[in-house]
Amino acid sequence: MSGERIIRGRVDAGGALVSADPSLLRLQQRAGAGLGRPLALPQLARLVALAQRLQRDISRPLYTADDHSDIHALVRIAPDADGATIEISDWRTRPVVMPQTPPVADVGIVPHGWAWECDQHLRVVALRAGAEAPSIPAGWEGRSLSELFELQPDADGRFAVLRALARQASFEGQRVRVEIGGTPLTMTVAGEALFDATGGFTGFRGIAVRDPETTGAAPTSGTIDPAFGSLPLSDPQFGRRIDGALRGPLSRIIATAETIHGQFDGPIRADYARYAGDIAHAGRHLLGLVDDLADLQNIERPGFKAARDEIDLSDLARRAVGLLGMKAEEKGIRIDAPRTDDRMPAYGEFRRVLQVLLNLLGNAIRYSPEQSQIWIRVDREGDRAMVTVADQGQGIATDQQAVVFEKFERLGRTDSGGSGLGLYIARRLARAMDGDLTVDSAPGQGARFTLSLPAREA
Amino acid sequence: MAESFTSTGPDLPSPTLSARLRELAAYLAAPTAGHLTEEQRALSLGIARRLVTTLAAELDVGINVTALWDDWLAGGIPSAERLAPACFARGEEHRWRQQSAQSAPTVSPGTAETADGPPAAGESELSDTDRAFLALRIADRRRFDALGNPAIAVADLDPDLLRALLLDIAAWWLARDKGDGNRAAALGDAVRTTGEAQQSATGIDAEAKAYHAILIANGDLSAVAAGAIARHDWTTLVALAAAAGKRRYADMALALITAEVAALPVLLAPLRLDSAALAPLEASLAMLPARALAGDDAGSGATA
Repeated sequence: MSGERIIRGRVDAGGALVSADPSLLRLQQRAGAGLGRPLALPQLARLVALAQRLQRDISRPLYTADDHSDIHALVRIAPDADGATIEISDWRTRPVVMPQTPPVADVGIVPHGWAWECDQHLRVVALRAGAEAPSIPAGWEGRSLSELFELQPDADGRFAVLRALARQASFEGQRVRVEIGGTPLTMTVAGEALFDATGGFTGFRGIAVRDPETTGAAPTSGTIDPAFGSLPLSDPQFGRRIDGALRGPLSRIIATAETIHGQFDGPIRADYARYAGDIAHAGRHLLGLVDDLADLQNIERPGFKAARDEIDLSDLARRAVGLLGMKAEEKGIRIDAPRTDDRMPAYGEFRRVLQVLLNLLGNAIRYSPEQSQIWIRVDREGDRAMVTVADQGQGIATDQQAVVFEKFERLGRTDSGGSGLGLYIARRLARAMDGDLTVDSAPGQGARFTLSLPAREA
Repeated sequence: MAESFTSTGPDLPSPTLSARLRELAAYLAAPTAGHLTEEQRALSLGIARRLVTTLAAELDVGINVTALWDDWLAGGIPSAERLAPACFARGEEHRWRQQSAQSAPTVSPGTAETADGPPAAGESELSDTDRAFLALRIADRRRFDALGNPAIAVADLDPDLLRALLLDIAAWWLARDKGDGNRAAALGDAVRTTGEAQQSATGIDAEAKAYHAILIANGDLSAVAAGAIARHDWTTLVALAAAAGKRRYADMALALITAEVAALPVLLAPLRLDSAALAPLEASLAMLPARALAGDDAGSGATA
């Protein structure tokens, strides 16, 4: 939560934190350091070092974590001859969760249902009918959700929406009865919990879908794996629970290992510092794997569909470069991205295309030699819009190109750079958007990954 | 006598070519100015389509909205000049809010599981302040369609623009319908009644004024505005700033989104916020890409 609105700190030329507002100092102390000690927050320390190296102000989003929460903020670093000044604004904490967790329901797509939203007291603030849905009852404004919808208990006598309210969590499968023009209807309601920037619960948003005329049909439950009780592996809840259980501890392992590796508390034996670096590296690898597995579970579930947004591949490529530019800069890699006025209109889901491009560009940076170049080109062939990421890495032999998109395929690499799922997921996503992902490469000549999507007339 | 020949220039270009040339001319006239991104174009076009669809349904449910929109897409949207600011303002506000929503937490740590109890919602008596805030929230949510896409509520539309659009739609329908006299009269009536209905409808501007008045009376204005900034509740902030500055909600939203950092304290002066309270607002605006900054030819909102 935002206490002080601008949090300031100062590091000296040697990288030690010499003054800090309480929030920043608290974070430094939780990381095991204090005033007069090197900055113990790895990402912030790297940003300070970068600003000092470039000798110019830099502003970046900052993501870090303490014992309980992730912290999101905007940090501005102004270097000078004696060190650097840190200004952190928009300091916000959020619970340790995976930000890209898919909502419990596709609440935005309701041609045959109603979209609704309520505040934290369950008062309805929005109710709209989809194109093929029954008309909505009059006078819904401000009424209680439980008054508008007559809630039906589940087999255990519980109400999913009320449990969700108590937990401030998402819910699904809440059966309700509603009367429209004297005709009773049975519907099933699902909703996601909404939060403001300070983490305060602000209500629910969801859909209500008319039940099929054939009553008595049990809700689809998928295949239940007895090893996991009543929660099937295919249930998105499973992924979220696993993710929630792993992400927090892993983040803390990484932060602590980084602190030890950086010897922020004073010198330690070099081999111990190296071990800590290995632990941090492995931790980041595992965290990436958690992300990938959560994604995998999502895209492999039956009925997974990507949205068909109107997108511009050039714009998305530039966004990807903006996000990974610093990583490339650290290796002295130059990225030749599409120009600002380049356009390549296409259809695809905005965030999924960005995810694919981040994967391709991330791989290119990871496997490119230092001081090399990466090209991103957009092109159109017939009804296909294409974006190609080309690097000067070691390349991929023809026989390996066939398997590079397989699950857990890392072409014999044993470093902890990736999970071997990224390209598999990327191709699945591309195909879910009526596109494809292909590779063209030869040993010693770098690799060219091309994402093609349905072209759109501008 | 030699036959004289006067070149009339190239053949008349196709509409598509004309449009491209106009776009290029606009670009050449200001090559370094920031230009609309695909996302901005798509948002504005979608908002325009939803507005036209809604208005057509208000006029006459029999209007073939698909054909209307196809015609207007091919030939250009009448009243485009007047429609553009409204659509752009709504689209930019939506981008800003989307960006905040994407960076906001999606799940809260579960509190202790409690037994299912009777719903507490809606049963307690609402205070005037809560009621006004709820009304503001409802008015805001009317500015979306069922799929969550941004839209302009009829109640929020400038009356002159509303009338111009209604007349354009009616004219199109009559032209397509070969000027049926009865239909012309019915459409004329529908234009009038829709305009009158809008006068009595309470849109976000009216709800903003009501909420602002209650907060002023209670002496809570600054605290509530500061809280809205901290929560990234931009609707409430824009509503209060608009009411305090006696401007329309859409105007104030656009003014904030296009404001230089130095201009924010001036714009929000009636809310009496201290400079520290503005920090999250500055940070949020700074992170919004492709902002058209007032007085900035390059139009950039990127952080350094």
